Amino acid sequence: MTVSIDALKDKFRNPGSAELELIARYAMLPENGQRERAFEAFAETGLPHRRMEAWKWTDFKAALKQVEASKHAADTASLAASGQAVIEFTPEGVSLPKNVPAGIKLHERSDAQALGDAEEVPLGAMTAALSGRVGGLDTLIIEVNEPTTEPLHIVTRGDRGETNFARVAVVVRPGARLDLIESHLGGAGFSSFLIEVGMQEAGSVRRTVLQRGQADEAQAITAVVSLGDKSQYSQTALAFGAKVARLETRLRHQESGSHATLNGAYLCADGYHADFTSHVRHGAPSSITRQVTKGAVLDGGTGVFQGKFHVPRTIGQHTDADMQHQALLLEDGAEVFAKPELEIYADDVECAHGNTSGALDPNQLFYMRQRGIPEAEARALLTEAFIAEALEDASEGVHDVLLDAARRFLADTVR
Amino acid sequence: MLKLDHLTATVGEEDEAKTILNGLSLDVPAGEVHAIMGPNGAGKSTLSYVLTGRDGYEVTDGSATLEGADLLDMDPEERAAKGLFLSFQYPVEVPGVPVMTFVRTAMNAQRKLRGEDEISAPDFIKKSRELGAKLNLTADMLKRPLNVGFSGGEKKRLEIFQMMMLEPRFAILDETDSGLDIDALRTVADGVNALRSPERGMLVITHYQRLLDHIKPDKVHVLANGKIIKTGGPELALRLEEEGYDGVLGEAA
Repeated sequence: MTVSIDALKDKFRNPGSAELELIARYAMLPENGQRERAFEAFAETGLPHRRMEAWKWTDFKAALKQVEASKHAADTASLAASGQAVIEFTPEGVSLPKNVPAGIKLHERSDAQALGDAEEVPLGAMTAALSGRVGGLDTLIIEVNEPTTEPLHIVTRGDRGETNFARVAVVVRPGARLDLIESHLGGAGFSSFLIEVGMQEAGSVRRTVLQRGQADEAQAITAVVSLGDKSQYSQTALAFGAKVARLETRLRHQESGSHATLNGAYLCADGYHADFTSHVRHGAPSSITRQVTKGAVLDGGTGVFQGKFHVPRTIGQHTDADMQHQALLLEDGAEVFAKPELEIYADDVECAHGNTSGALDPNQLFYMRQRGIPEAEARALLTEAFIAEALEDASEGVHDVLLDAARRFLADTVR
Repeated sequence: MLKLDHLTATVGEEDEAKTILNGLSLDVPAGEVHAIMGPNGAGKSTLSYVLTGRDGYEVTDGSATLEGADLLDMDPEERAAKGLFLSFQYPVEVPGVPVMTFVRTAMNAQRKLRGEDEISAPDFIKKSRELGAKLNLTADMLKRPLNVGFSGGEKKRLEIFQMMMLEPRFAILDETDSGLDIDALRTVADGVNALRSPERGMLVITHYQRLLDHIKPDKVHVLANGKIIKTGGPELALRLEEEGYDGVLGEAA
């Protein structure tokens, strides 16, 4: 090994016991130049913490004092219906579907791959370095060659493990289409999923994500997406949070005429924290981004939204981008942190953003109660209606399942 | 049926509290429709909100009972389940909740509070189609979010639709005529008249006599400065129209 473990420990400066455990895991994996590069990138920051600007509201280092097994099994149902193709990642390994939809090929790679710029995100770099298993899969490549319509599911399930790290790369060939549905169910003390999506000319991906975790777990879901000429990417995520949960998306419009939708909703109960962070770079002219994030938080819960649109001079001309974040504070003691940012250097663009947080409208509540709807039920119904807009573009087959999950959560928690 | 005895209520906090209802007494027997008329600021809307339990009002004296039950002791939803309905002067928009979902949720919530079974889906759909047709509300309109993008007249028709669906024991119509053209006024009045029955009482709050041509009241009360100052038959409304509140109130004083 070119970098010694001791040198790595130095690099981490003051590593905590969770980081020492991650270093030990790294040491067990086969030597590989890409892995080394990724782990060194992770070592630059270690587990991200509040003194880093991009992580000031979501502190993984504080949440992960140790890497410990979760006390809970991930027994929640995934979004997959029976008979559908499911790729499942557990601490034990990966299970691949017998029947992959026609037009899709799966390639297992046992060495770390150099893809995209996942290394810019600390937990992306960590996952790229540690997703490998001795003698087993490191990266799963999903190659999409045709406009497929049948959904492909990815499920991550921690099975009371200490960690569940997985890495997927999606290659979308010209004119091909993928309907990807992910269920990240927690169940490990520390779960981290990295997906890199590269879309070629006129490629299309719809990604629907459900995140559920427990109040003693840390969960990261990191996506790095690159859009080619006239490609289309649509992402819809519903997050219930965990002790800390971060859904981070870095999206690059690389060539002209691409269209991205980035929608999300978070519902956080007492002890749960959900973070939606995104960075969109309009690195080509005439590209469109639409982003709607909605959240509702109860006493003791925390929601975070950080969104950034970056439009460079000259190459970002005719960008059309809109970012909206709206949060409901359902009770005193609920916390929402938001930082929408537009960083625009091109002069001929249309960029807008909006950011609100507040309580439910007392006039609406009284109207509903006058009709006989008890207050808690009225609040739950208004909250469901509020977040529903952010879930409208979910894959048709699971749209109602997501809404039902939100409805059950609200019926159980809203008073 | 509805009995108000010396009802006194304030709005606003402590030092700022202002008395809006000032010893209001009223008795509406089952089977009757009473009208309340009065100038701006007389306390008409406050009366409807105090009876239905809106936050922000404090009852400082007197009582309000519906069929002997103390209304003031109940939450708004309990009053609704007891059979009290308010047709709002300004119906509230509820984005994201379709009319049908809303009415069905309300109907079943009331039934649950009363210990009754839920309405079956086919019965609900049949009833809503029939009543929607009577009020010129299309199936498409009933699928739209409640009151969102509806015109003033459509909102009022939707209030009456909800009333007909929920079949309350006692209905308060707060300025249901405002914002209605002649045709819509007739449609709304037909709906209200269809609900008149020996078991049901109604209180129609209005500025103008116009609505009372279509919904014939048994009694007309004049409300001013938070209390009923004059009571008469339908002819009182006509006199108000001719002489104005000043004329009639001058005589009362």
